[in-house]
Amino acid sequence: MPVRAAARLRAGARTLAPNAVLLTLSIVMLAALWLTSTVSVAPNRIVPGSAFDVVAAFGVAGALLVSLLLLALAALSLKAERVNYQAMLLLVVLILLLMPFGLMVAGHFLIDPALAQARLGIGAGYWTLLFVLLLCLVELRLRLGLKRLATAALLLGVALVWWLCARLWLDELALVQEFHSRQSAFYAALSQHLVLVASAVGVSLVLGMTLALLMRRFTRVEKVGFALLNFFQTVPSLALFGLLLAPLAWLGANVAFLRDLGVSGIGNTPALIALIAYSLLPIARNTYIALGEVRPDTLEAATAMGMRPAQRFWQVRFPLALPVLLEGVRITTVQAVGLAAVAALIGAGGLGTFIFQGLGQAAMDMVLLGALPIVIMALIMDAGLGALAELTRHGGQA
Amino acid sequence: MQASVVSLRPGFALRWLVPLGWAALLALAVFGMQYADGFFRWIAPDARQVIYSRASFLDLLGRHLLVVGVAGAVTIVVGVLAGIGVTRRYGRDFLPLAGQLASIGQTFPPVAVLALAVPVLGFGTLPIIVALMLYGLLPILRNTLAGLQGVDAGTKEAALAMGMTQRQILWRVELPLAAPVILAGIRTSITINIATAALGATVGASNLGDPIISGIVNSNMAYVLQGALLIALLALTVDSLFDLFQQALAKRSAA
Amino acid sequence: MIELSRVSKRFGDTTAVDDISLSIPSGKFCALVGTSGCGKSTMLRMINRLIPHSDGQITLDGEPIESFNPVKLRRRIGYVIQSTGLFPHWSVARNIGLVPRLLKWPTEKVNARVEELMGIFGLPVDEFAHKYPHQLSGGQAQRVGVARALAADPDILLMDEPFGALDPLTREKLQDELLRLQAKLHKTVVFVTHDMDEALKLADHLVVMRDGRIVQQGSPLALLQHPEDAFVESMLGGLERGLKQAALTRVKDHMTSLGSAIPAHSRIPGDFTLRQGLSMMMRDHCDRLTVVDASDVPIGELSLRRLIKEAQTERGVHRAG
Repeated sequence: MPVRAAARLRAGARTLAPNAVLLTLSIVMLAALWLTSTVSVAPNRIVPGSAFDVVAAFGVAGALLVSLLLLALAALSLKAERVNYQAMLLLVVLILLLMPFGLMVAGHFLIDPALAQARLGIGAGYWTLLFVLLLCLVELRLRLGLKRLATAALLLGVALVWWLCARLWLDELALVQEFHSRQSAFYAALSQHLVLVASAVGVSLVLGMTLALLMRRFTRVEKVGFALLNFFQTVPSLALFGLLLAPLAWLGANVAFLRDLGVSGIGNTPALIALIAYSLLPIARNTYIALGEVRPDTLEAATAMGMRPAQRFWQVRFPLALPVLLEGVRITTVQAVGLAAVAALIGAGGLGTFIFQGLGQAAMDMVLLGALPIVIMALIMDAGLGALAELTRHGGQA
Repeated sequence: MQASVVSLRPGFALRWLVPLGWAALLALAVFGMQYADGFFRWIAPDARQVIYSRASFLDLLGRHLLVVGVAGAVTIVVGVLAGIGVTRRYGRDFLPLAGQLASIGQTFPPVAVLALAVPVLGFGTLPIIVALMLYGLLPILRNTLAGLQGVDAGTKEAALAMGMTQRQILWRVELPLAAPVILAGIRTSITINIATAALGATVGASNLGDPIISGIVNSNMAYVLQGALLIALLALTVDSLFDLFQQALAKRSAA
Repeated sequence: MIELSRVSKRFGDTTAVDDISLSIPSGKFCALVGTSGCGKSTMLRMINRLIPHSDGQITLDGEPIESFNPVKLRRRIGYVIQSTGLFPHWSVARNIGLVPRLLKWPTEKVNARVEELMGIFGLPVDEFAHKYPHQLSGGQAQRVGVARALAADPDILLMDEPFGALDPLTREKLQDELLRLQAKLHKTVVFVTHDMDEALKLADHLVVMRDGRIVQQGSPLALLQHPEDAFVESMLGGLERGLKQAALTRVKDHMTSLGSAIPAHSRIPGDFTLRQGLSMMMRDHCDRLTVVDASDVPIGELSLRRLIKEAQTERGVHRAG
């Protein structure tokens, strides 16, 4: 108690002190803006571009405007008050909204309209600015106690503006050009990726939950089961994909029934099997833990009140276990999004194809076209399933 | 003293058996692979050459370990220090952000991190080390935070009341109590990094991922199998070593 | 009427309950008291078949409990435990209405019953119906627990240290509420506790257990007057026994008519316990008290010397209560 009271006292005294986090982040952004390249311009998609600094990209006026906005952010962070946090939130959103226009300006200054192939690349400074602004947003969300939904809506609004700009005015941007030149391939890869993730998670959800229930019932299965699942988790994904190639190729070549099912060493089957093998552990483990965490006296009370075993499971045990179980689904899904990218190496398709093709051709824009959507997809899945898990916690129980 | 050593022996030997066994298998695979020509010929009858020979397996293993080791050393130092820093009074401002970052960072797929490192750092060993550092940092930071914050506030208050300095509390109370959780984070980080380092072969870093990638590209199953076998054995060796450490730590804190 | 005859329960090699016979008449409040691990909870849980007994027979109104479907049996028996066992994902109202819903009562009837019970237990519907268990205080949660057990109006109520986790003030309040309720409802209650004072206060019939066996049973007064052995005596508080016994009787049952002597200065209402009377004598340094009725009119006198003489004759007659 005294410790907590003292902490509160300190926190109270500190409200007028600067917010060190936002101050640091503002300074980092200013440094990144002036010390690293903002954009690069390349004559075509293979040749590496030449870098340009902030003045060359945005002009003197533009560079000063951005710097002033960042300085204002730094100044506001000197007093940790709610009003200042609100003003900073506004500023951060404003800068985020202005960023695509900066690229337009840079395109206007630096790209010769006569060169049809010329493209504008985003530089380290610009990426840093974007990343740190998102960090600021996270920090402000925590300080202001914003709801998850409010932040999501805010980000969605910003994303919408960005998308509109990319759609309408940012044709010179390398990423946009890359997208235009392989639009149909992109959508195909995206859906392949989603289908792969969804089917892997779906199958392992059924298998994993069954396994967890079996392990709850038979202790001997428990030991062997977890040992096996842990073993799979330890084997590196690339190795597991590789190890599956040989036996599956053999099966596909020698067992007619499996060949008809589409089993072969390369492609979807080994990818799906490997993804399921990896997904089983988090799901089975979380289901197992979740079911075990339901307090025994709660369950006994259910029995004592005259619930049948099935009623007890579906009305008490399962709903109480659901949040932890969904946590397992979240971990699994996010992991599967990343692993499915590796699966592109063995011909499973998906967004990983762009990454590895791009790396093979040294075409960085193509790598980005694969990597960025994967990151965004993982973040969306993470946030969505996290929110769902939160929703299932009835009455905010711990 | 003597007696206790003797009595510990059987359990001691038994515990080391698992990692030693995996290590022996790894060594056998590294040195014996070239003699298994017949087996790999059977795996890939159509291939011109069945034993990967662009670099020796020992070489590949060494480079793999170097990359993971360098990245691991940096991440452990930085991650644990950062975790300690943000839980002290002077760094407390950064605690919420660090906590959020550690959990959000977990969602970044390693492949994507690697892919995003290449445009900035170019091809070769550097991007893979940086990617491994970025990716490996978060489990360690997260577990350091969880471990330090998991120390009972009453315990810390008692330590303070006994007259321990902040530094003594950190070294004698907080870190020993948080050690198992921190070690678990290091284990996760290193295990993931062994796997992710193999992907470095796609960005021009030469390591155990090389045989797999070139095997896939040339559809030579024998190569794939060789690479996969070695990485799997390496991962299992290191993981079982960590298992040993964790058990030792658990035994110590239980005693 | 609950009857246990020669009931035993073994877990592997250990015998938790050893050849116990006990009968609890309908409408009586029976408390099982003993140190932890003496088998009292096991006995309780055998009655609603949460655990099967190994030997002997348990009957409800003459019917062996094996002849009932266990699920249906449990719906007829209320059950309250120390940790409340409330379902954390359900609101207070839903928790209370559980058994009626299991019994497929129509919704309006369930709702009416829930509101009635919340009224009885002093939980305003507007304020509490939609709260979740973790938002309740310990006392409130246990009130909900008891309300849930009574929801389908069972004849039998099993309570396993229901007030053990509450602070002394709340515990006393809930004990009083339970006493008041029992005076109205006349359930057959089996109440497990390790708190002898609680048992003395609540029970009609007291069963002291040790190592899976019954050491002594009888009315609280009978036990206090004639403890069977040193164990029971120590359970009853050793030297404090006299005061505990005094706490069970009223001042007016021990008073004598007002004599010619000058009335004592200190006054005590006749409804107070004898223990309070003795305490007052110590406080006011006197050996006589004037007993008054509700309107403060003297109706008799309490004299220490008489009390001691009374106790001496009682021992001489050796009348087991």
